Amino acid sequence: MRPRSLTAFGFLAPYLLIFASFWLWPIIYSFYLSFMSTRRLPWTFNPKMTWGRVVQDPAFYNALENTLTILAIQVPVMLFLATLLAVMLNSTLLRARGLIRFAFFAPVVIGEAAYAAVFRLMFNTEFGVINKVIESVGLPPVEWFSNPDAAMALIIMAVTWRWVGYNAIIILAGLQSIPQDVYEAATLDRVSPRQQFLYITLPLLKPVILFCLVLSVIGSMQLFAEPYLITNVGGPGGATETLGLYLYRQAFLNLNFGYASAVAYTIAALAVMISALNLWIGRDKT
Amino acid sequence: MASVTLEKVAKSYGSHKVIHGADLNVKDGEFVVFVGPSGCGKSTLLRMIAGLEDITSGDVSIGETRVTDMVPGDRGVAMVFQSYALYPHMDVARNMSFGLRMQGNDKADTDARVGNASVVLQLKQLLARLPKQLSGGQRQRVAIGRAIVRKPQVFLFDEPLSNLDAELRVQMRVEIARLHSELAATMIYVTHDQTEAMTLADRIVVLRDGNIEQVGSPLELYHDPDTAFVAGFIGSPRMNFLAGRTENWADGLQSVALVNHGDKIVKIPTRSALATGEEVTVGVRPEHLLAGKAAVGGFAITADVVEHLGATTYIYAGARSENPLIVARTDDHADTVGDQVTILPQVGKAHLFDTNGMRIR
Repeated sequence: MRPRSLTAFGFLAPYLLIFASFWLWPIIYSFYLSFMSTRRLPWTFNPKMTWGRVVQDPAFYNALENTLTILAIQVPVMLFLATLLAVMLNSTLLRARGLIRFAFFAPVVIGEAAYAAVFRLMFNTEFGVINKVIESVGLPPVEWFSNPDAAMALIIMAVTWRWVGYNAIIILAGLQSIPQDVYEAATLDRVSPRQQFLYITLPLLKPVILFCLVLSVIGSMQLFAEPYLITNVGGPGGATETLGLYLYRQAFLNLNFGYASAVAYTIAALAVMISALNLWIGRDKT
Repeated sequence: MASVTLEKVAKSYGSHKVIHGADLNVKDGEFVVFVGPSGCGKSTLLRMIAGLEDITSGDVSIGETRVTDMVPGDRGVAMVFQSYALYPHMDVARNMSFGLRMQGNDKADTDARVGNASVVLQLKQLLARLPKQLSGGQRQRVAIGRAIVRKPQVFLFDEPLSNLDAELRVQMRVEIARLHSELAATMIYVTHDQTEAMTLADRIVVLRDGNIEQVGSPLELYHDPDTAFVAGFIGSPRMNFLAGRTENWADGLQSVALVNHGDKIVKIPTRSALATGEEVTVGVRPEHLLAGKAAVGGFAITADVVEHLGATTYIYAGARSENPLIVARTDDHADTVGDQVTILPQVGKAHLFDTNGMRIR
């Protein structure tokens, strides 16, 4: 190797070392682990106990179903709201634009524990503000933490609240990259604002929305903090246990690293497959 | 097709006035070009006619209809933008038909209009292409096609050729001229390029700082400018302006001494005598300066830069100064840098301007 390259690698070494030991090595090692039965010492090669278990474990399927339910409801709702919000944030009628844009982006910056605590207070069955509002219009209070469907709805609302502004900012950047004169041309073409949105804005935003969709799918597949912190580690009775939570339970509560590795690889593979499917469906047909 | 009338049309942004009450009548079927340096308000005025900019005061009429308060789509105008403004995700055919389709126009009629426009603009082979698969010239033709299919009363062009290279620009210029004669349409065209203005226009409107400086046919503006600004803007290379001092007047000719050229006297036709000793500016075009043997009794300049274009040779004197003197020579004389050239303004071709830049006739 030439001395110049050596110097370069010397400067890169700290990064490469950290990258190799905390990123590359765990990926390789967990792949190895996913074939090992780790329930008792010594660990033995036994894929039946890991990969074999994944395909028939009802708890895994419960977590998968919960995750896919959240994904199927939360992601479309959030992207719809984010698009709407982006259009509003882009409006020329809006005052104090920078402040309002930051306000919607802020949830991303807030610590998960803090926001989870606030959600738990707001949705508290007895004295939470949400139930107070619900009761004030004459409806019965909702058992947010003990009713499985309500708990699921709560997780979906929390995740949507946290990420809608983030996605709106990305979509806003996409909106602003559409040249204004295209809209002027459409206005002169007697195309109504509604038609402009449907036939110009949305098609031109497609790549950006697709990007947000893939990001959200990956995020949902890894969803952990909300069910852990808000609904008491996937409660009630596993009704909001997600794949991320299930993986955590297997690895760090049961200390079954072999099985947890197999679950981790399954989650990653599912995320890749769903994202690829999204990209394939949304591809440019021309 | 229809005429376009502007009555005291003004535009301000807050307290900043950009158009100061423009009056103009564009006749039915006329090709009018708005020309002026950047920031003169020509594009703003065009966009006010289109309805894309609000009008602060005054009125715009198209045909017999007052359109001042109408939305752009109802004014019966079509516009071609400098950036083409094509819909990037639609192919050429859909770009042209989009407006008609959105209004629920009969499909057969829409197809027929797109078909006709694509024949006129030679776009037949490109109908299935996306804008990104087209060259600049082709894109601009699509933009024009999109305007044609709407059968507008007035076509508006906002610097449509600025993004094209020189050769394409000439080609598209010819095409737009052909289109104007084929469609016999009223067209208003904005450019900062005086050559485009001269070659395309029935009438040119010269704008300066939000005011209409002069309106006239290309040759009227060239031969009979009202102001030094118009004289300098129309014609390429631009008119020479020489500092002068008035002397005596006789038989309709005002004698002016060129103060920077040894008080050489030039005679310029005026209606009446000016007071002696007044500061004036003599404007004379490069092509109206006699040079060499023809310039008997003229004054000498030193050639700093010489451009041989074949048919014409441009000689620049004082090239480093802000206002070089340019001579256009067509008499096959191979001047070189450093040569002394004798020049003389042709009698009757020079113009006289006062210190405010107003023409003295």
